[in-house]
Amino acid sequence: MLNPATVHGFQSRTFWIVVSGRHPSQSSRAAASTFFGEGCSRRNADAAQEHEMSTNPSSVMAAFKGFQQELDTKHDKYERLVKISRDVTIESKRTIFLLHRVTTVPDAVDILNEADIKLDGVRQKIGQIAEELRGEDIYQFHRAFTPGIQEYVEAVSFLHYIRHRSLISLEEINARLVFMNAEKADPKGSAEAMPVNAQVLTFQVTPSDYLLGVADLTGELMRMCISSVGNGDIDTPFQLSQFLRQIHDGFSYIGNTGPYEVSKKLHTLRQSLGKVEDACYTLRVRGSEIPRHMLADVFSSRTTLIDPEEGVV
Amino acid sequence: MNKREGEGCSRRNADAAQEHEMSTNPSSVMAAFKGFQQELDTKHDKYERLVKISRDVTIESKRTIFLLHRVTTVPDAVDILNEADIKLDGVRQKIGQIAEELRGEDIYQFHRAFTPGIQEYVEAVSFLHYIRHRSLISLEEINARLVFMNAEKADPKGSAEAMPVNAQVLTFQVTPSDYLLGVADLTGELMRMCISSVGNGDIDTPFQLSQFLRQIHDGFSYIGNTGPYEVSKKLHTLRQSLGKVEDACYTLRVRGSEIPRHMLADVFSSRTTLIDPEEGVV
Repeated sequence: MLNPATVHGFQSRTFWIVVSGRHPSQSSRAAASTFFGEGCSRRNADAAQEHEMSTNPSSVMAAFKGFQQELDTKHDKYERLVKISRDVTIESKRTIFLLHRVTTVPDAVDILNEADIKLDGVRQKIGQIAEELRGEDIYQFHRAFTPGIQEYVEAVSFLHYIRHRSLISLEEINARLVFMNAEKADPKGSAEAMPVNAQVLTFQVTPSDYLLGVADLTGELMRMCISSVGNGDIDTPFQLSQFLRQIHDGFSYIGNTGPYEVSKKLHTLRQSLGKVEDACYTLRVRGSEIPRHMLADVFSSRTTLIDPEEGVV
Repeated sequence: MNKREGEGCSRRNADAAQEHEMSTNPSSVMAAFKGFQQELDTKHDKYERLVKISRDVTIESKRTIFLLHRVTTVPDAVDILNEADIKLDGVRQKIGQIAEELRGEDIYQFHRAFTPGIQEYVEAVSFLHYIRHRSLISLEEINARLVFMNAEKADPKGSAEAMPVNAQVLTFQVTPSDYLLGVADLTGELMRMCISSVGNGDIDTPFQLSQFLRQIHDGFSYIGNTGPYEVSKKLHTLRQSLGKVEDACYTLRVRGSEIPRHMLADVFSSRTTLIDPEEGVV
Protein backbone atom coordinates (compact mmCIF):
# COMPACT_ATOMS: atom_id res chain seq x y z
CA MET A 1 0.00 0.00 0.00
CA LEU A 2 1.30 3.41 -0.84
CA ASN A 3 1.26 6.55 1.19
CA PRO A 4 -0.99 8.75 -0.95
CA ALA A 5 0.96 11.78 -2.12
CA THR A 6 -1.24 14.80 -1.65
CA VAL A 7 -0.52 18.24 -2.95
CA HIS A 8 -0.98 19.49 0.57
CA GLY A 9 2.37 18.07 1.42
CA PHE A 10 4.23 19.75 -1.42
CA GLN A 11 6.24 16.70 -2.31
CA SER A 12 9.29 17.42 -4.40
CA ARG A 13 8.07 15.62 -7.47
CA THR A 14 6.90 16.88 -10.81
CA PHE A 15 4.22 14.19 -11.01
CA TRP A 16 1.48 14.87 -8.50
CA ILE A 17 -1.23 12.33 -7.96
CA VAL A 18 -4.22 12.57 -5.70
CA VAL A 19 -5.47 9.09 -4.98
CA SER A 20 -9.09 8.47 -4.09
CA GLY A 21 -7.94 5.96 -1.53
CA ARG A 22 -7.32 8.70 0.99
CA HIS A 23 -9.46 7.90 4.00
CA PRO A 24 -12.38 10.31 4.42
CA SER A 25 -11.58 10.68 8.08
CA GLN A 26 -8.02 11.87 7.56
CA SER A 27 -8.60 15.45 6.60
CA SER A 28 -6.79 18.41 7.99
CA ARG A 29 -9.99 20.41 8.27
CA ALA A 30 -11.96 20.72 11.42
CA ALA A 31 -15.23 20.13 9.63
CA ALA A 32 -14.36 16.52 9.02
CA SER A 33 -13.72 15.71 12.61
CA THR A 34 -16.95 13.84 13.07
CA PHE A 35 -15.19 10.60 12.29
CA PHE A 36 -13.69 8.66 15.09
CA GLY A 37 -11.36 6.02 13.94
CA GLU A 38 -8.15 7.62 13.01
CA GLY A 39 -6.35 4.41 13.46
CA CYS A 40 -6.17 3.34 9.81
CA SER A 41 -2.60 2.42 9.12
CA ARG A 42 -0.81 3.85 6.12
CA ARG A 43 2.08 2.22 4.51
CA ASN A 44 4.92 4.40 3.33
CA ALA A 45 6.23 3.02 0.03
CA ASP A 46 7.94 6.10 -1.36
CA ALA A 47 10.92 4.05 -2.46
CA ALA A 48 8.74 1.78 -4.55
CA GLN A 49 6.97 4.74 -6.10
CA GLU A 50 10.21 6.39 -7.23
CA HIS A 51 11.37 3.20 -8.84
CA GLU A 52 8.12 2.61 -10.69
CA MET A 53 7.87 6.15 -11.97
CA SER A 54 11.07 5.71 -13.89
CA THR A 55 9.63 2.77 -15.79
CA ASN A 56 6.18 3.52 -17.20
CA PRO A 57 3.51 6.09 -16.22
CA SER A 58 0.53 3.88 -17.09
CA SER A 59 1.82 1.01 -14.98
CA VAL A 60 2.05 3.48 -12.13
CA MET A 61 -1.57 4.50 -12.75
CA ALA A 62 -2.62 0.87 -12.81
CA ALA A 63 -0.78 0.23 -9.58
CA PHE A 64 -2.46 3.22 -7.98
CA LYS A 65 -5.86 2.04 -9.13
CA GLY A 66 -5.16 -1.21 -7.36
CA PHE A 67 -4.16 0.68 -4.23
CA GLN A 68 -7.30 2.77 -4.51
CA GLN A 69 -9.57 -0.24 -4.59
CA GLU A 70 -7.72 -1.89 -1.76
CA LEU A 71 -7.96 1.20 0.42
CA ASP A 72 -11.59 1.84 -0.49
CA THR A 73 -12.49 -1.72 0.47
CA LYS A 74 -10.68 -1.37 3.75
CA HIS A 75 -12.29 1.95 4.56
CA ASP A 76 -15.75 0.67 3.68
CA LYS A 77 -15.25 -2.25 6.00
CA TYR A 78 -14.07 0.10 8.74
CA GLU A 79 -17.19 2.22 8.25
CA ARG A 80 -19.46 -0.81 8.47
CA LEU A 81 -17.73 -1.86 11.67
CA VAL A 82 -18.22 1.62 13.11
CA LYS A 83 -21.94 1.45 12.35
CA ILE A 84 -22.31 -1.98 13.93
CA SER A 85 -20.30 -0.85 16.93
CA ARG A 86 -22.61 2.12 17.43
CA ASP A 87 -25.60 -0.20 17.43
CA VAL A 88 -23.87 -2.45 19.96
CA THR A 89 -23.12 0.55 22.18
CA ILE A 90 -26.69 1.84 22.10
CA GLU A 91 -28.23 -1.54 22.83
CA SER A 92 -25.76 -2.26 25.64
CA LYS A 93 -26.44 1.10 27.24
CA ARG A 94 -30.18 0.45 27.13
CA THR A 95 -29.57 -2.92 28.78
CA ILE A 96 -27.66 -1.20 31.55
CA PHE A 97 -30.46 1.30 32.09
CA LEU A 98 -32.86 -1.62 32.27
CA LEU A 99 -30.68 -3.38 34.83
CA HIS A 100 -30.62 -0.35 37.08
CA ARG A 101 -34.30 -0.92 37.72
CA VAL A 102 -33.68 -4.10 39.71
CA THR A 103 -33.31 -2.07 42.87
CA THR A 104 -36.77 -0.55 42.58
CA VAL A 105 -38.89 -3.64 41.93
CA PRO A 106 -39.36 -6.44 44.47
CA ASP A 107 -39.02 -9.23 41.92
CA ALA A 108 -36.03 -8.82 39.65
CA VAL A 109 -36.48 -11.97 37.56
CA ASP A 110 -38.49 -10.30 34.79
CA ILE A 111 -35.91 -7.58 34.40
CA LEU A 112 -33.08 -10.09 34.29
CA ASN A 113 -34.82 -12.14 31.65
CA GLU A 114 -35.50 -9.08 29.55
CA ALA A 115 -31.84 -8.11 29.94
CA ASP A 116 -30.84 -11.58 28.75
CA ILE A 117 -32.93 -11.14 25.64
CA LYS A 118 -31.40 -7.75 24.93
CA LEU A 119 -27.88 -9.08 25.40
CA ASP A 120 -28.62 -11.92 23.01
CA GLY A 121 -29.51 -9.28 20.44
CA VAL A 122 -26.21 -7.56 21.18
CA ARG A 123 -24.37 -10.84 20.71
CA GLN A 124 -25.94 -11.19 17.28
CA LYS A 125 -24.51 -7.81 16.37
CA ILE A 126 -21.11 -8.91 17.64
CA GLY A 127 -21.51 -11.93 15.40
CA GLN A 128 -21.82 -9.52 12.50
CA ILE A 129 -18.60 -7.85 13.63
CA ALA A 130 -16.91 -11.24 13.69
CA GLU A 131 -18.22 -11.94 10.21
CA GLU A 132 -16.74 -8.67 8.92
CA LEU A 133 -13.42 -9.47 10.55
CA ARG A 134 -13.15 -12.89 8.96
CA GLY A 135 -9.70 -13.19 7.46
CA GLU A 136 -8.64 -9.72 8.53
CA ASP A 137 -6.11 -8.39 10.97
CA ILE A 138 -8.37 -7.37 13.84
CA TYR A 139 -5.98 -4.76 15.14
CA GLN A 140 -6.34 -2.74 11.95
CA PHE A 141 -10.01 -2.33 12.77
CA HIS A 142 -9.80 -2.47 16.51
CA ARG A 143 -10.56 1.19 17.08
CA ALA A 144 -13.75 0.83 15.08
CA PHE A 145 -15.43 -1.65 17.35
CA THR A 146 -13.72 -1.09 20.67
CA PRO A 147 -16.34 1.32 22.11
CA GLY A 148 -19.10 -1.15 21.40
CA ILE A 149 -17.19 -4.05 22.89
CA GLN A 150 -16.38 -2.09 26.03
CA GLU A 151 -20.06 -1.23 26.51
CA TYR A 152 -20.98 -4.86 25.96
CA VAL A 153 -18.44 -6.00 28.56
CA GLU A 154 -19.88 -3.42 30.94
CA ALA A 155 -23.44 -4.63 30.38
CA VAL A 156 -22.73 -8.33 30.62
CA SER A 157 -20.56 -7.95 33.72
CA PHE A 158 -23.26 -5.83 35.33
CA LEU A 159 -25.83 -8.52 34.72
CA HIS A 160 -23.44 -11.16 36.02
CA TYR A 161 -22.81 -9.17 39.19
CA ILE A 162 -26.49 -8.70 39.89
CA ARG A 163 -27.03 -12.42 39.57
CA HIS A 164 -23.91 -13.82 41.23
CA ARG A 165 -22.32 -10.95 43.16
CA SER A 166 -19.00 -11.66 41.48
CA LEU A 167 -16.96 -10.39 38.56
CA ILE A 168 -17.36 -12.21 35.28
CA SER A 169 -14.08 -13.43 33.86
CA LEU A 170 -12.77 -12.79 30.37
CA GLU A 171 -13.00 -16.48 29.54
CA GLU A 172 -16.67 -16.56 30.46
CA ILE A 173 -17.37 -13.56 28.25
CA ASN A 174 -15.54 -15.09 25.32
CA ALA A 175 -17.29 -18.42 25.84
CA ARG A 176 -20.61 -16.70 25.09
CA LEU A 177 -19.28 -15.10 21.91
CA VAL A 178 -19.30 -18.23 19.80
CA PHE A 179 -21.38 -18.10 16.65
CA MET A 180 -22.58 -21.10 14.74
CA ASN A 181 -23.05 -20.77 11.02
CA ALA A 182 -22.98 -23.01 8.02
CA GLU A 183 -19.96 -21.45 6.36
CA LYS A 184 -16.31 -22.32 6.67
CA ALA A 185 -15.10 -21.20 10.03
CA ASP A 186 -12.18 -18.96 10.83
CA PRO A 187 -11.24 -18.32 14.42
CA LYS A 188 -10.41 -14.74 15.37
CA GLY A 189 -8.06 -14.99 18.27
CA SER A 190 -6.18 -12.25 19.99
CA ALA A 191 -4.77 -14.21 22.91
CA GLU A 192 -5.42 -17.89 22.32
CA ALA A 193 -6.25 -20.04 19.34
CA MET A 194 -9.67 -21.68 19.34
CA PRO A 195 -10.17 -25.15 17.88
CA VAL A 196 -11.12 -24.87 14.24
CA ASN A 197 -14.60 -26.19 13.74
CA ALA A 198 -16.30 -26.22 10.37
CA GLN A 199 -19.25 -24.25 11.72
CA VAL A 200 -17.90 -21.98 14.41
CA LEU A 201 -16.95 -18.34 14.32
CA THR A 202 -15.63 -16.83 17.53
CA PHE A 203 -15.02 -13.30 18.67
CA GLN A 204 -12.36 -12.78 21.31
CA VAL A 205 -12.59 -9.74 23.50
CA THR A 206 -9.10 -8.36 23.98
CA PRO A 207 -7.82 -8.07 27.56
CA SER A 208 -7.58 -4.28 27.26
CA ASP A 209 -11.23 -3.99 26.19
CA TYR A 210 -12.15 -6.22 29.12
CA LEU A 211 -10.23 -3.99 31.50
CA LEU A 212 -11.82 -0.81 30.23
CA GLY A 213 -15.27 -2.36 30.32
CA VAL A 214 -14.77 -3.39 33.93
CA ALA A 215 -13.62 0.12 34.76
CA ASP A 216 -16.89 1.47 33.32
CA LEU A 217 -18.74 -1.18 35.30
CA THR A 218 -17.57 0.41 38.54
CA GLY A 219 -19.44 3.61 37.70
CA GLU A 220 -22.63 1.66 37.18
CA LEU A 221 -22.12 -0.23 40.42
CA MET A 222 -21.73 3.03 42.27
CA ARG A 223 -25.04 4.20 40.86
CA MET A 224 -26.68 0.96 41.83
CA CYS A 225 -25.32 1.33 45.33
CA ILE A 226 -26.76 4.80 45.81
CA SER A 227 -30.13 3.89 44.40
CA SER A 228 -30.33 0.75 46.51
CA VAL A 229 -29.73 2.79 49.63
CA GLY A 230 -32.51 5.12 48.60
CA ASN A 231 -34.76 2.10 48.36
CA GLY A 232 -33.90 0.88 51.82
CA ASP A 233 -31.45 -1.89 50.99
CA ILE A 234 -28.72 -1.73 53.64
CA ASP A 235 -26.66 -4.80 52.70
CA THR A 236 -25.79 -4.01 49.11
CA PRO A 237 -23.61 -0.97 49.80
CA PHE A 238 -21.27 -2.94 52.02
CA GLN A 239 -20.92 -5.76 49.53
CA LEU A 240 -20.32 -3.24 46.80
CA SER A 241 -17.78 -1.37 48.90
CA GLN A 242 -15.69 -4.50 49.32
CA PHE A 243 -16.11 -5.45 45.68
CA LEU A 244 -15.13 -2.06 44.37
CA ARG A 245 -12.19 -1.94 46.75
CA GLN A 246 -10.91 -5.18 45.27
CA ILE A 247 -11.36 -3.92 41.72
CA HIS A 248 -9.59 -0.71 42.66
CA ASP A 249 -6.68 -2.65 44.13
CA GLY A 250 -6.47 -4.69 40.95
CA PHE A 251 -6.29 -1.59 38.81
CA SER A 252 -3.68 -0.02 41.08
CA TYR A 253 -1.66 -3.18 40.64
CA ILE A 254 -1.73 -2.62 36.90
CA GLY A 255 -0.72 0.99 37.44
CA ASN A 256 0.92 2.52 34.39
CA THR A 257 1.51 -0.69 32.53
CA GLY A 258 -1.88 -0.91 30.89
CA PRO A 259 -3.52 1.06 28.07
CA TYR A 260 -3.46 4.78 28.62
CA GLU A 261 -7.22 5.02 29.07
CA VAL A 262 -6.81 3.02 32.26
CA SER A 263 -5.29 6.02 34.03
CA LYS A 264 -8.34 8.20 33.38
CA LYS A 265 -10.71 5.44 34.39
CA LEU A 266 -8.68 4.77 37.53
CA HIS A 267 -9.35 8.36 38.57
CA THR A 268 -13.07 7.92 38.01
CA LEU A 269 -12.91 4.62 39.84
CA ARG A 270 -11.45 6.30 42.90
CA GLN A 271 -14.28 8.80 42.92
CA SER A 272 -16.85 6.04 42.61
CA LEU A 273 -15.21 4.11 45.40
CA GLY A 274 -15.24 7.24 47.54
CA LYS A 275 -18.96 7.74 47.00
CA VAL A 276 -19.73 4.13 47.85
CA GLU A 277 -17.63 4.28 51.00
CA ASP A 278 -19.32 7.52 52.00
CA ALA A 279 -22.62 5.72 51.63
CA CYS A 280 -21.43 2.89 53.86
CA TYR A 281 -20.15 5.36 56.42
CA THR A 282 -23.48 7.15 56.48
CA LEU A 283 -25.33 3.90 56.93
CA ARG A 284 -23.08 2.47 59.58
CA VAL A 285 -22.20 5.49 61.66
CA ARG A 286 -25.24 7.65 61.12
CA GLY A 287 -27.68 4.88 60.34
CA SER A 288 -28.49 4.14 63.93
CA GLU A 289 -29.75 7.66 64.44
CA ILE A 290 -31.87 8.14 61.34
CA PRO A 291 -35.05 6.31 60.35
CA ARG A 292 -34.79 4.34 57.13
CA HIS A 293 -37.05 6.52 55.06
CA MET A 294 -34.91 9.55 55.79
CA LEU A 295 -31.76 7.99 54.46
CA ALA A 296 -32.29 9.29 50.95
CA ASP A 297 -32.47 12.85 52.29
CA VAL A 298 -29.28 12.31 54.22
CA PHE A 299 -27.47 11.30 51.03
CA SER A 300 -28.64 14.32 49.11
CA SER A 301 -27.52 16.58 51.90
CA ARG A 302 -24.16 14.86 52.31
CA THR A 303 -23.27 15.23 48.65
CA THR A 304 -23.72 18.99 48.95
CA LEU A 305 -21.42 18.98 52.01
CA ILE A 306 -23.94 20.41 54.41
CA ASP A 307 -23.05 20.23 58.08
CA PRO A 308 -23.93 16.67 59.14
CA GLU A 309 -25.94 17.95 62.05
CA GLU A 310 -28.53 19.31 59.66
CA GLY A 311 -29.03 15.83 58.32
CA VAL A 312 -30.78 14.77 61.47
CA VAL A 313 -34.42 15.61 61.19
CA MET B 1 -35.32 6.64 37.27
CA ASN B 2 -32.11 7.11 35.44
CA LYS B 3 -31.41 9.75 32.88
CA ARG B 4 -30.91 8.71 29.30
CA GLU B 5 -27.82 9.86 27.46
CA GLY B 6 -28.67 11.54 24.21
CA GLU B 7 -26.40 12.83 21.49
CA GLY B 8 -27.09 16.52 21.73
CA CYS B 9 -30.85 16.00 21.61
CA SER B 10 -33.12 18.22 23.60
CA ARG B 11 -34.59 16.85 26.81
CA ARG B 12 -37.91 17.63 28.13
CA ASN B 13 -37.94 19.03 31.64
CA ALA B 14 -41.11 17.77 33.24
CA ASP B 15 -40.18 18.22 36.86
CA ALA B 16 -43.18 20.39 37.55
CA ALA B 17 -45.53 17.87 36.02
CA GLN B 18 -43.76 15.11 37.87
CA GLU B 19 -44.21 16.77 41.27
CA HIS B 20 -47.88 17.27 40.63
CA GLU B 21 -48.41 13.70 39.51
CA MET B 22 -46.47 12.15 42.35
CA SER B 23 -48.89 13.58 44.79
CA THR B 24 -51.72 11.78 42.98
CA ASN B 25 -50.77 8.23 42.07
CA PRO B 26 -47.39 6.42 41.69
CA SER B 27 -48.51 4.15 38.85
CA SER B 28 -49.71 7.09 36.76
CA VAL B 29 -46.21 8.48 37.16
CA MET B 30 -44.78 5.21 35.93
CA ALA B 31 -47.12 5.22 32.98
CA ALA B 32 -46.15 8.78 32.15
CA PHE B 33 -42.49 7.87 32.32
CA LYS B 34 -43.02 4.90 30.07
CA GLY B 35 -44.54 7.27 27.57
CA PHE B 36 -41.53 9.57 27.90
CA GLN B 37 -39.22 6.58 27.47
CA GLN B 38 -40.80 5.51 24.23
CA GLU B 39 -40.88 9.03 22.91
CA LEU B 40 -37.22 9.58 23.71
CA ASP B 41 -36.20 6.18 22.36
CA THR B 42 -37.95 6.90 19.08
CA LYS B 43 -36.26 10.26 18.84
CA HIS B 44 -32.81 8.87 19.62
CA ASP B 45 -33.25 6.04 17.14
CA LYS B 46 -34.17 8.55 14.45
CA TYR B 47 -31.14 10.65 15.39
CA GLU B 48 -28.93 7.57 15.10
CA ARG B 49 -30.31 6.70 11.69
CA LEU B 50 -29.70 10.25 10.53
CA VAL B 51 -26.12 10.07 11.78
CA LYS B 52 -25.54 6.89 9.79
CA ILE B 53 -27.00 8.35 6.60
CA SER B 54 -24.99 11.52 7.13
CA ARG B 55 -21.78 9.50 7.41
CA ASP B 56 -22.57 7.79 4.11
CA VAL B 57 -23.23 11.17 2.50
CA THR B 58 -19.93 12.50 3.82
CA ILE B 59 -17.90 9.56 2.55
CA GLU B 60 -19.47 9.61 -0.88
CA SER B 61 -19.08 13.39 -1.20
CA LYS B 62 -15.42 13.19 -0.19
CA ARG B 63 -14.82 10.51 -2.81
CA THR B 64 -16.47 12.73 -5.38
CA ILE B 65 -14.12 15.56 -4.43
CA PHE B 66 -11.07 13.29 -4.74
CA LEU B 67 -12.36 12.28 -8.16
CA LEU B 68 -12.80 15.90 -9.19
CA HIS B 69 -9.23 16.73 -8.27
CA ARG B 70 -8.12 14.57 -11.16
CA VAL B 71 -9.46 16.97 -13.79
CA THR B 72 -6.17 18.83 -13.73
CA THR B 73 -4.18 15.75 -14.70
CA VAL B 74 -6.20 14.47 -17.65
CA PRO B 75 -6.55 16.37 -20.94
CA ASP B 76 -10.26 15.61 -21.33
CA ALA B 77 -12.25 16.25 -18.18
CA VAL B 78 -15.68 15.27 -19.50
CA ASP B 79 -15.50 11.67 -18.33
CA ILE B 80 -14.53 12.69 -14.85
CA LEU B 81 -17.32 15.26 -14.69
CA ASN B 82 -19.88 12.73 -15.84
CA GLU B 83 -18.69 10.23 -13.27
CA ALA B 84 -18.89 12.94 -10.63
CA ASP B 85 -22.46 13.69 -11.71
CA ILE B 86 -23.37 10.06 -11.20
CA LYS B 87 -21.78 9.97 -7.78
CA LEU B 88 -23.56 13.13 -6.73
CA ASP B 89 -26.87 11.69 -7.86
CA GLY B 90 -26.22 8.82 -5.49
CA VAL B 91 -25.53 11.33 -2.75
CA ARG B 92 -28.79 13.08 -3.52
CA GLN B 93 -30.62 9.81 -3.08
CA LYS B 94 -29.15 9.55 0.39
CA ILE B 95 -30.24 13.10 1.13
CA GLY B 96 -33.67 12.01 0.02
CA GLN B 97 -33.56 9.41 2.76
CA ILE B 98 -32.66 12.13 5.22
CA ALA B 99 -35.63 14.16 4.03
CA GLU B 100 -37.83 11.10 4.44
CA GLU B 101 -36.68 10.67 8.04
CA LEU B 102 -37.32 14.33 8.75
CA ARG B 103 -40.86 14.22 7.47
CA GLY B 104 -43.07 15.83 10.05
CA GLU B 105 -40.19 16.59 12.42
CA ASP B 106 -38.54 19.74 13.62
CA ILE B 107 -35.36 19.68 11.56
CA TYR B 108 -33.41 21.73 14.06
CA GLN B 109 -33.73 19.00 16.69
CA PHE B 110 -31.80 16.73 14.36
CA HIS B 111 -29.69 19.30 12.59
CA ARG B 112 -26.43 18.32 14.26
CA ALA B 113 -26.93 14.77 13.04
CA PHE B 114 -26.85 15.53 9.34
CA THR B 115 -24.97 18.81 9.18
CA PRO B 116 -21.52 17.27 8.47
CA GLY B 117 -22.90 15.32 5.53
CA ILE B 118 -24.72 18.31 4.11
CA GLN B 119 -21.62 20.50 4.39
CA GLU B 120 -19.56 17.92 2.51
CA TYR B 121 -22.28 17.67 -0.13
CA VAL B 122 -22.32 21.45 -0.57
CA GLU B 123 -18.54 21.35 -0.89
CA ALA B 124 -18.67 18.64 -3.55
CA VAL B 125 -21.45 20.12 -5.62
CA SER B 126 -19.97 23.62 -5.52
CA PHE B 127 -16.58 22.22 -6.55
CA LEU B 128 -18.15 20.51 -9.55
CA HIS B 129 -20.04 23.68 -10.41
CA TYR B 130 -16.86 25.72 -10.24
CA ILE B 131 -14.95 23.36 -12.49
CA ARG B 132 -17.70 23.58 -15.07
CA HIS B 133 -18.69 27.22 -14.86
CA ARG B 134 -15.93 29.00 -12.96
CA SER B 135 -18.49 30.53 -10.62
CA LEU B 136 -19.96 29.89 -7.20
CA ILE B 137 -23.15 27.89 -7.07
CA SER B 138 -25.92 29.66 -5.21
CA LEU B 139 -27.98 28.25 -2.36
CA GLU B 140 -31.12 28.36 -4.49
CA GLU B 141 -29.48 26.26 -7.18
CA ILE B 142 -28.40 23.68 -4.62
CA ASN B 143 -31.88 23.49 -3.13
CA ALA B 144 -33.46 23.25 -6.57
CA ARG B 145 -31.62 19.96 -7.12
CA LEU B 146 -32.78 18.54 -3.78
CA VAL B 147 -36.34 17.83 -4.81
CA PHE B 148 -37.50 14.25 -4.48
CA MET B 149 -40.50 12.74 -6.21
CA ASN B 150 -42.33 9.90 -4.55
CA ALA B 151 -45.80 8.43 -4.57
CA GLU B 152 -46.66 9.16 -0.94
CA LYS B 153 -48.36 12.16 0.53
CA ALA B 154 -45.93 15.03 0.38
CA ASP B 155 -44.72 17.23 3.16
CA PRO B 156 -42.32 20.05 2.39
CA LYS B 157 -39.44 20.54 4.78
CA GLY B 158 -38.62 24.22 4.70
CA SER B 159 -36.13 26.06 6.79
CA ALA B 160 -36.34 29.44 5.11
CA GLU B 161 -39.20 29.39 2.67
CA ALA B 162 -42.32 27.32 2.14
CA MET B 163 -42.37 25.23 -1.00
CA PRO B 164 -45.60 24.65 -2.91
CA VAL B 165 -47.30 21.55 -1.58
CA ASN B 166 -47.38 18.93 -4.29
CA ALA B 167 -48.83 15.53 -3.72
CA GLN B 168 -45.61 13.85 -4.82
CA VAL B 169 -42.78 16.15 -3.82
CA LEU B 170 -40.45 16.06 -0.86
CA THR B 171 -37.82 18.76 -0.61
CA PHE B 172 -34.74 19.19 1.48
CA GLN B 173 -33.59 22.71 2.17
CA VAL B 174 -29.94 23.30 2.95
CA THR B 175 -29.71 25.88 5.70
CA PRO B 176 -27.73 29.04 4.98
CA SER B 177 -25.21 28.20 7.71
CA ASP B 178 -24.51 24.79 6.19
CA TYR B 179 -24.09 26.46 2.82
CA LEU B 180 -21.61 28.93 4.30
CA LEU B 181 -19.55 26.25 5.99
CA GLY B 182 -19.56 24.10 2.87
CA VAL B 183 -18.28 27.01 0.79
CA ALA B 184 -15.55 27.62 3.37
CA ASP B 185 -14.43 24.02 2.93
CA LEU B 186 -14.60 24.49 -0.83
CA THR B 187 -11.84 27.06 -0.60
CA GLY B 188 -9.42 24.46 0.71
CA GLU B 189 -10.18 22.20 -2.21
CA LEU B 190 -9.77 25.08 -4.65
CA MET B 191 -6.37 25.84 -3.19
CA ARG B 192 -5.34 22.24 -3.77
CA MET B 193 -6.61 22.37 -7.32
CA CYS B 194 -4.66 25.54 -7.91
CA ILE B 195 -1.38 24.04 -6.75
CA SER B 196 -1.87 20.85 -8.72
CA SER B 197 -2.81 22.76 -11.86
CA VAL B 198 0.43 24.71 -11.61
CA GLY B 199 2.32 21.47 -11.33
CA ASN B 200 0.67 20.35 -14.53
CA GLY B 201 1.64 23.48 -16.40
CA ASP B 202 -1.66 25.35 -16.34
CA ILE B 203 -0.76 29.00 -15.81
CA ASP B 204 -4.22 30.61 -16.11
CA THR B 205 -6.09 28.76 -13.40
CA PRO B 206 -4.13 30.12 -10.43
CA PHE B 207 -4.93 33.70 -11.34
CA GLN B 208 -8.63 32.98 -11.77
CA LEU B 209 -8.64 31.13 -8.50
CA SER B 210 -6.78 33.90 -6.76
CA GLN B 211 -9.46 36.41 -7.72
CA PHE B 212 -12.25 33.98 -6.86
CA LEU B 213 -10.86 33.12 -3.47
CA ARG B 214 -10.24 36.76 -2.74
CA GLN B 215 -13.92 37.48 -3.37
CA ILE B 216 -15.01 34.62 -1.15
CA HIS B 217 -12.64 35.80 1.55
CA ASP B 218 -14.06 39.29 1.35
CA GLY B 219 -17.54 37.87 1.66
CA PHE B 220 -16.64 35.96 4.78
CA SER B 221 -14.93 38.98 6.28
CA TYR B 222 -18.13 40.88 5.66
CA ILE B 223 -19.97 38.31 7.76
CA GLY B 224 -17.32 38.61 10.44
CA ASN B 225 -18.53 37.56 13.83
CA THR B 226 -22.21 37.49 13.02
CA GLY B 227 -22.29 33.98 11.62
CA PRO B 228 -22.05 30.56 13.23
CA TYR B 229 -19.01 30.11 15.41
CA GLU B 230 -17.40 27.58 13.09
CA VAL B 231 -17.05 30.36 10.54
CA SER B 232 -14.24 31.96 12.55
CA LYS B 233 -12.10 28.83 12.42
CA LYS B 234 -12.79 28.36 8.75
CA LEU B 235 -12.00 31.99 8.04
CA HIS B 236 -8.54 31.38 9.47
CA THR B 237 -8.04 28.38 7.22
CA LEU B 238 -9.40 30.39 4.31
CA ARG B 239 -6.77 33.06 4.83
CA GLN B 240 -4.04 30.45 4.73
CA SER B 241 -5.46 28.95 1.55
CA LEU B 242 -5.69 32.37 -0.02
CA GLY B 243 -2.08 33.03 0.98
CA LYS B 244 -0.90 29.84 -0.68
CA VAL B 245 -2.75 30.62 -3.88
CA GLU B 246 -1.39 34.13 -3.99
CA ASP B 247 2.12 32.83 -3.38
CA ALA B 248 1.62 30.56 -6.36
CA CYS B 249 0.49 33.48 -8.51
CA TYR B 250 3.47 35.52 -7.36
CA THR B 251 5.87 32.75 -8.22
CA LEU B 252 4.34 32.36 -11.64
CA ARG B 253 4.21 36.05 -12.46
CA VAL B 254 7.38 37.36 -10.93
CA ARG B 255 9.61 34.36 -11.11
CA GLY B 256 7.92 32.63 -14.00
CA SER B 257 9.67 34.66 -16.61
CA GLU B 258 13.01 33.40 -15.37
CA ILE B 259 12.26 29.71 -14.94
CA PRO B 260 11.31 27.14 -17.57
CA ARG B 261 7.90 25.62 -17.14
CA HIS B 262 8.98 22.18 -16.08
CA MET B 263 10.97 23.59 -13.23
CA LEU B 264 7.99 25.34 -11.68
CA ALA B 265 7.10 22.41 -9.48
CA ASP B 266 10.54 22.37 -7.93
CA VAL B 267 10.27 26.08 -7.27
CA PHE B 268 7.07 25.50 -5.31
CA SER B 269 8.59 22.83 -3.14
CA SER B 270 11.60 24.98 -2.39
CA ARG B 271 9.52 28.06 -1.63
CA THR B 272 7.45 26.28 0.99
CA THR B 273 10.59 25.41 2.91
CA LEU B 274 11.54 29.11 2.89
CA ILE B 275 14.81 28.65 1.14
CA ASP B 276 16.47 31.84 -0.05
CA PRO B 277 14.70 32.68 -3.33
CA GLU B 278 18.03 32.94 -5.12
CA GLU B 279 18.52 29.22 -4.75
CA GLY B 280 15.28 28.64 -6.65
CA VAL B 281 16.85 29.80 -9.87
CA VAL B 282 18.39 26.79 -11.54
